[in-house]
Amino acid sequence: MNKKLTSITKTISGIRPFIAPYKWQFIGAIVMVILSVVAMVLAPSVEGMITTQLADDITLAESLGRLQIQFDAIIKIIVILALIYLVKTLSQVFAITWLTNAIQHAMRDLRNALQNKIRRLPVRYFDNHPFGDVLSRITNDVDAISNALQQSFVNVVSGILTITLALIMMIRISPLMALIAFMIIPLSLLITIFIVTRSQKRFQAQQDALGALNGAITEMYTGYNEILLFNKQEDSIEKFKKLNEHLRSNACKAQFISSTIGPLNSLVTYLTIGTVAVVGTFQILAGNISVGNLQAFVRYIWQVNDPLSQISSLSSQIQAAFAAMERVMEILNEEEEIAELDPPKHIENMKGNVSFKHVRFGYGETDLIKDLNIEVKSGQMVAIVGPTGAGKTTLINLLLRFYDVRGGSICIDGVDIRDMKRGELRDMFGMVLQDTWLFSGSIYDNIRYGRLNARKDEIIAVAKMANVHHFIRTLPDGYHSLVNEEANNISQGEKQLLTIARAILKDPKILILDEATSSVDTRLEKMIQEAMHRVMEGRTSFVIAHRLSTIRNADLILVMNHGDIIEQGTHEELLAKKGFYEKLYNSQFADAE
Amino acid sequence: MINEFAQFVKKGCESLKLILKYLKRYKKLFLINVISAFGFVLVELGIPTIIADMIDVGVQNADTNYLIQMGLIMATISVIGVSMTILLGYCCANISTAITRDIRNDIFAHAQTFTAYEFNQFGISSMITRTNNDAFQIQMFVNVLLRTALMTPIMFIASFFMTAKASLPLSGIIAATIPLIILGVVFVAKISQPISEKQQSLLDRLNRISRENLSGIRVIRAFDNDAYEQQRFDETNEQFTSQSKKLFKIMMMTSPIFFMLMNVAGLCIYWVASLLIQNGQLSLGQLVAFMDYLFHAMFSIMLFCTVFMMYPRAAVSAKRIREVLDTKPLIRNEGSMSGNEQDGTITFDHVTFVYPDGEEPVLKDVSFTAKKGETIAFIGSTGSGKSTLVNLIPRFYDVSEGAIRINGVDIRDYDVMDLRSRLGVIPQKAFLFHGTIADNIRFGKPDATREEIEHAAKVAQAYSFIMEKEHGFDEEITESATNISGGQKQRLSIARALVRKPEIYIFDDSFSALDFKTDATLRNELKKETKNSIVIVVAQRISTIMDADQIIVLNEGNVIGHGTHKELLKNCQIYREIALSQLSEEELAHE
Repeated sequence: MNKKLTSITKTISGIRPFIAPYKWQFIGAIVMVILSVVAMVLAPSVEGMITTQLADDITLAESLGRLQIQFDAIIKIIVILALIYLVKTLSQVFAITWLTNAIQHAMRDLRNALQNKIRRLPVRYFDNHPFGDVLSRITNDVDAISNALQQSFVNVVSGILTITLALIMMIRISPLMALIAFMIIPLSLLITIFIVTRSQKRFQAQQDALGALNGAITEMYTGYNEILLFNKQEDSIEKFKKLNEHLRSNACKAQFISSTIGPLNSLVTYLTIGTVAVVGTFQILAGNISVGNLQAFVRYIWQVNDPLSQISSLSSQIQAAFAAMERVMEILNEEEEIAELDPPKHIENMKGNVSFKHVRFGYGETDLIKDLNIEVKSGQMVAIVGPTGAGKTTLINLLLRFYDVRGGSICIDGVDIRDMKRGELRDMFGMVLQDTWLFSGSIYDNIRYGRLNARKDEIIAVAKMANVHHFIRTLPDGYHSLVNEEANNISQGEKQLLTIARAILKDPKILILDEATSSVDTRLEKMIQEAMHRVMEGRTSFVIAHRLSTIRNADLILVMNHGDIIEQGTHEELLAKKGFYEKLYNSQFADAE
Repeated sequence: MINEFAQFVKKGCESLKLILKYLKRYKKLFLINVISAFGFVLVELGIPTIIADMIDVGVQNADTNYLIQMGLIMATISVIGVSMTILLGYCCANISTAITRDIRNDIFAHAQTFTAYEFNQFGISSMITRTNNDAFQIQMFVNVLLRTALMTPIMFIASFFMTAKASLPLSGIIAATIPLIILGVVFVAKISQPISEKQQSLLDRLNRISRENLSGIRVIRAFDNDAYEQQRFDETNEQFTSQSKKLFKIMMMTSPIFFMLMNVAGLCIYWVASLLIQNGQLSLGQLVAFMDYLFHAMFSIMLFCTVFMMYPRAAVSAKRIREVLDTKPLIRNEGSMSGNEQDGTITFDHVTFVYPDGEEPVLKDVSFTAKKGETIAFIGSTGSGKSTLVNLIPRFYDVSEGAIRINGVDIRDYDVMDLRSRLGVIPQKAFLFHGTIADNIRFGKPDATREEIEHAAKVAQAYSFIMEKEHGFDEEITESATNISGGQKQRLSIARALVRKPEIYIFDDSFSALDFKTDATLRNELKKETKNSIVIVVAQRISTIMDADQIIVLNEGNVIGHGTHKELLKNCQIYREIALSQLSEEELAHE
């Protein structure tokens, strides 16, 4: 319990910075809520004044012998009452307006903060955490928090106020009966805590089941092609049903357990009313209180019960929000990328010399690369070859500092890349990765991504260079055609061309081509390679190569196997060595013969 | 106005129809639910009545025994009422989660009949939201519906009945406000619905950007475009916030404004009551009782309003769910053939294909036949229609004209499951599932033995890298397969197809992620394996296809060359260009 409490306070203090900027709106809203509650509590007694006035008039009529209602007095009270109602409604309107603005802005800030956080987290985090889970935290969980805040906040604040005011009124009527009525609060609290501790576990289980289902849905919708091809529809429906049923049973339990809070609290209230009624009537008989007092007292007990049951009916939402908040906070508290050197080192007149000195690196516990030394001179072309899965992407991870080396250093023009600003380092590189990534937007925007301030003619020029201009022109909306969500209205080859155009536009000092040409059309490939050669001119380039011509022309060939670089040298040197490379090179003619 | 109202009701009914359809399955629980709803009313109205009796009878007669007796009755009623309310909670939890489960199951099962066309129409992430979040919205709504929406009308009717008993003319004022309230609620629902829809679609967009920001993490960082991404997110976030603000304000203002209305009605009642008392038509006691019941009636109406507050969101979700459920998949499984006749041919008979929403045909009059043991290859520039062509074989799309026949039978006459079980497709971009490597290969043939799996892995050149993994074949592939490379994925995808021993292999540019060496050895091994099958290859590299039995050169959907490597070198200009761009003169001469 204690642990729970500290985790809740921790969560709340985590959310505080997002609420702080809007504290005046929150405070204003709370003041307005207080005003409306006061008006609400005041209204019945003013209403009572009408009844009293009428009763007085009737009593007077007995002595006068004829009934004359004091209409002007009644109108006066009605006007006062109307004013109270107006104040109540206006204060509610203000409270809602300020509160909604404050909460929605706070949530907007939270979403932004999460996006910012995502940008500062190391790539390692994303490689190690399931995609669906991270996505769910930054989308569904934020939604849950927003809904809970929006719907529960007013109820909780006005509930607490109403209860307090009602309690004060009760003490004024009869301290003895008030003492009995006070029992509602600790009893309700005990019941609520008892049930919440139980339902919390269920809610956690529900959230986990939801995560599992979400993961499965994502996977099976993304892999729908495979499911169709291998006739796995039945199997996946079975799998889905199982996870779905698991979610249902947990959700049902969580919902049911938390739904008992309301009725059980009401039972306490009902029994209290019963006791108060018996005690009260005895009090009346003893002449201690009036009938009207008893009626008012019972009214006040209801006034305590209503907000209590309202709050407890919201408790499942509040609980879910707390669970969501915890998950969101987990991301926000995640360790960020190592801070940049301050002041960072800066390369003037960059040449593009790259050197690896005694680099040691691995993803897991064991080192993949033990002691790597490479010297690349400005303008050289380095070809990286090796069997598939030899770990060629590791080099990219290291060069762009997606991962940091474990030992040794990587330097550009003699400056350790860890001493530079990340943005500046990455600005030096142009890259075409194996998995092309386009975002949903126009083709134009997707190319412009390489350099955001590029002019239209520059974009068309690079599109021409990447031989994608013609293709774009054949699309219905030309450059303004939209890449759809799955980017599957564009073939793999065309996507690759677009990413090449994007890389050309960036005009980088160092190029990394990761199998860039592997699924580009063969006829275009030659032209692309020519374009690429033009781009590579004067630039240091790393090419993960499959093409012989590229390999032959390389200034340096790095041969990778099992994640490590096992040989390096020029084509001739490596052939003469009669090692792994020689075998690799000769084997490719096997099928031509 | 009347027209609009009718339309609104009709629209409302449509989404309620969805819920009713599922609710029907739980008639018994629903019945218990309705009965237990009375429990709440019993206590809420019973207790004031008992207290009134205690005061009127017990106090008046100073009968302490009667008072204690009534106190006990009150306790008994409370216990019964609360038990029924708990039962109500039990029914609600069961019904609402069961309905959500059923809706999710139906959406998912229906999605399994979709092919690329339908998935593209909706978009994967929208399909995910519809299956997950929209169904959850329905759950929330059903919950409120079963609890509040059932309980409050009973409460309202009971308390309205009481007010009418107290004073008929006064209850007329309440009756007069009812249409006003209904109109108000309809008005609120009507203006909030489009805002709610807009908010939902902005949320979709927001989630899509989040999704892209996660999936493109490396690219975004490589381009150092954080600021741009942030701006893209900010804009949508800002729009979403402004719509949410509007929506929540409308939804939350409903109840205060409604209460204001009721309060004004209350003031009118006081005024009219004063007149009535003046004329001797109403007693003070009646007025007091009347105001008491009015309070209950008002409270139940306010609770009922929460149903309407939730309604627009649920209606939007219901609409989105119905869109999925009502989508008739393009590909109908109307064939029933599952014969064993195996003359071992595949024929394209004057096939022309236009995408469902396209204008220009992607394939024009394509014809060829391939026999068992043959390899037929397709080559051509980007957009030439090669991939489209192979997508027609598993019926991801149906031909627009002409026919495709396997073993002489039109593929539309096969049971679609039977058709696909004859194929081993290795798609361009391999997708692997969460599970072990062995599980993923077994995906091709659920009852495959360990030997078969290992054999397939060996042929696919995957064996050695699998054995290098810590757990070998039992190595878990993580979500979105981050622990294996693109080339390894390809080879597992090939092993997965191999283990099926299909009649027809379709390699859709499946060798592109492989290096030359692996590519070459793999194809040598494959040759032995595919002797009794037809092999269809789509490729970019000449070296991959040059020893195919037939090569078809496609250009803008037309067949512009058909023959062997040697023949095409002689008589197909485009083929020669492709070949020259990839092979050196000496390699060509080598042939």
